Amino acid sequence: MVDKLNRRDFIGATAVAGAAMLLESCKSNTSAQTVGLKKSSLNTINVALIGYGEEGKVLLESLLNIEDVRLVALCDIWDYHRGEGQRYLHKLGNEVRSYENYEDLLAKEKDLQAVVIATPDFWHAPMTNTCLKAGLHVYCEKMMSNTIDGARSMVQTMRETGKLLQIGHQRRSNPRYVFTLNRLLHEAKFCGRLTAVQGQWNRAVKEDFGWPKKFEMPAPMLAKYGYKDMHEFRNWRWYKGLGGGPLSDLGAHQIDIFNWWLGMTPSSVVASGGLDYFKNHDWYDNAMVIYEYSLPQGVARAFYQVQTTTSAGGGYFEMFMGDDGTIKMSEDPSICAIYREARADAVSWDDLEQKGYVRAIQTSAEATKVDVRETAQLAQYEIPVFFNKPPHQPHLENFFNAIRGTTKLNCPADEAFASEYVIHKANEAVASEKKILITNEEVKA
Amino acid sequence: MATTTEVKILPVKKIAWDFTFAFLALRLWLGVRALFVGIQKYAAYKSVAVPLIDPSTGQPDASGVLVNVSVKSYALANYMGIPAGLRDKFAHDPLFPKFALTLFDRMLGPAFILTGIMLIIGLGTRLSLLIQGLLFIALTVGLVLIDANDGVAYLGIHIGLVAAAFLLVQHNRFVVLKRW
Repeated sequence: MVDKLNRRDFIGATAVAGAAMLLESCKSNTSAQTVGLKKSSLNTINVALIGYGEEGKVLLESLLNIEDVRLVALCDIWDYHRGEGQRYLHKLGNEVRSYENYEDLLAKEKDLQAVVIATPDFWHAPMTNTCLKAGLHVYCEKMMSNTIDGARSMVQTMRETGKLLQIGHQRRSNPRYVFTLNRLLHEAKFCGRLTAVQGQWNRAVKEDFGWPKKFEMPAPMLAKYGYKDMHEFRNWRWYKGLGGGPLSDLGAHQIDIFNWWLGMTPSSVVASGGLDYFKNHDWYDNAMVIYEYSLPQGVARAFYQVQTTTSAGGGYFEMFMGDDGTIKMSEDPSICAIYREARADAVSWDDLEQKGYVRAIQTSAEATKVDVRETAQLAQYEIPVFFNKPPHQPHLENFFNAIRGTTKLNCPADEAFASEYVIHKANEAVASEKKILITNEEVKA
Repeated sequence: MATTTEVKILPVKKIAWDFTFAFLALRLWLGVRALFVGIQKYAAYKSVAVPLIDPSTGQPDASGVLVNVSVKSYALANYMGIPAGLRDKFAHDPLFPKFALTLFDRMLGPAFILTGIMLIIGLGTRLSLLIQGLLFIALTVGLVLIDANDGVAYLGIHIGLVAAAFLLVQHNRFVVLKRW
């Protein structure tokens, strides 16, 4: 009897304990849902942001996510932008001193290690040169300058001062781009022999930027900083002498990818473009460019088009095409694609899939062949990798890590110069309507 | 009158151990089956970002890219009595009352867990077998309405096991409570 009771007590107690464990395991697991980006508070590198326009705002969002970096000063010639930035940072608990003039900032901020420059292109060279000479490391947005001479002076100052100068071609630090270049294009030789590249940025027609009338800058101040009027100040990208037009504004990022991934600059460029839609701009509003690259395996031609007079249909991408396959890359992951010919058997899909480099896309219906010359339908795969930071953050992180000496810059000014040189040449080709040859020597700063 | 001193020896009731263990095996199988069917209703797969591992070094890929891996987790918030696909079909069937769908959805998981535990520990064995039998019948009605005949046959096997358990339940031993 005693034994029987003990056994039942034991079983009963075990049941209660089991139920308790079951309930414990059923508690909502919230830790996985609380992934978030921590705003910086205690930092070790003091940095100033010069230029708080559209690009400056994007860079600020990334800056605030980076640990051990403290934003101490903000500079913009427009008090409307300065106030907006200060109020925003105040809300985040990040008090900054603000300046209208960057030279004033440099004179008063004695504990700076670096500056981030996001001003109109024509200010990049003078600001960068002054900041480098002041002993600061510089992250400068692309284009380096609206002129080749201006860009060259930046490289020279970088060399003279020994300070770091990172140019904001942020895709060079984008983990997806780095992975696809290293693992698929180089390691797996996914495309085979590269024969063609295609890139585009179709941006929808949009109105010029406006401004609140009560915050309009006085004419003398606009003139002091190089602008004819407020419209020119707000829409500087469209004006010669201030910016470089759409090839410089949008195309620079993508043509830089052509050069980076192909490992060289082109040997020639032809282009066509025009100011066909907008009436109040200087720069053409559409352009189509063809570069020739003399790759060791043979010539590859790269076509690039930038449209600001169309719908945004088709989006923006860079597509590398070879005799074995094609990789279509974009900063927008939804546009990316990967294709491989059935006869390309050097590396199997299975092998790449096992490594986690690609993932099969499940398809149900077979596509109908509409023409006998069509190649057979390819197996569909995608590149499943991603990163969970704003697009500019890895490039800024690379800059700050280079300052700490833990890595090298992903886009130092001398490399960026070579890449941007051929963009300036594309603008020249549009104007001259002639094929322009580009030597390896002239792309060196 | 002579009084008898004869002592009648009653036959000793022998324990049929074969039947006992047969029922024990069946009881435990049905119990474990029900318990984990119920627990699974609190399970969900979530996508979790992890660094891509470089197969040559076993370390995260130098590019810093991430990949999504599917991770299973259990939480009360995950509870789904009737799978979403089936629930939609039931909701569109005119013979299936909406209140019954909600009620059944809420009670299915807890009912399986409760009756599963009861069967395993031997607490109200007949009652828990009866509840499970009714649940299987109710599920059968639902699956018949949506023409899921494979599922009906599958539930038929379960009903057969419950019926077999009732035939053997007189040999029920190793229990917390013998009654019910």
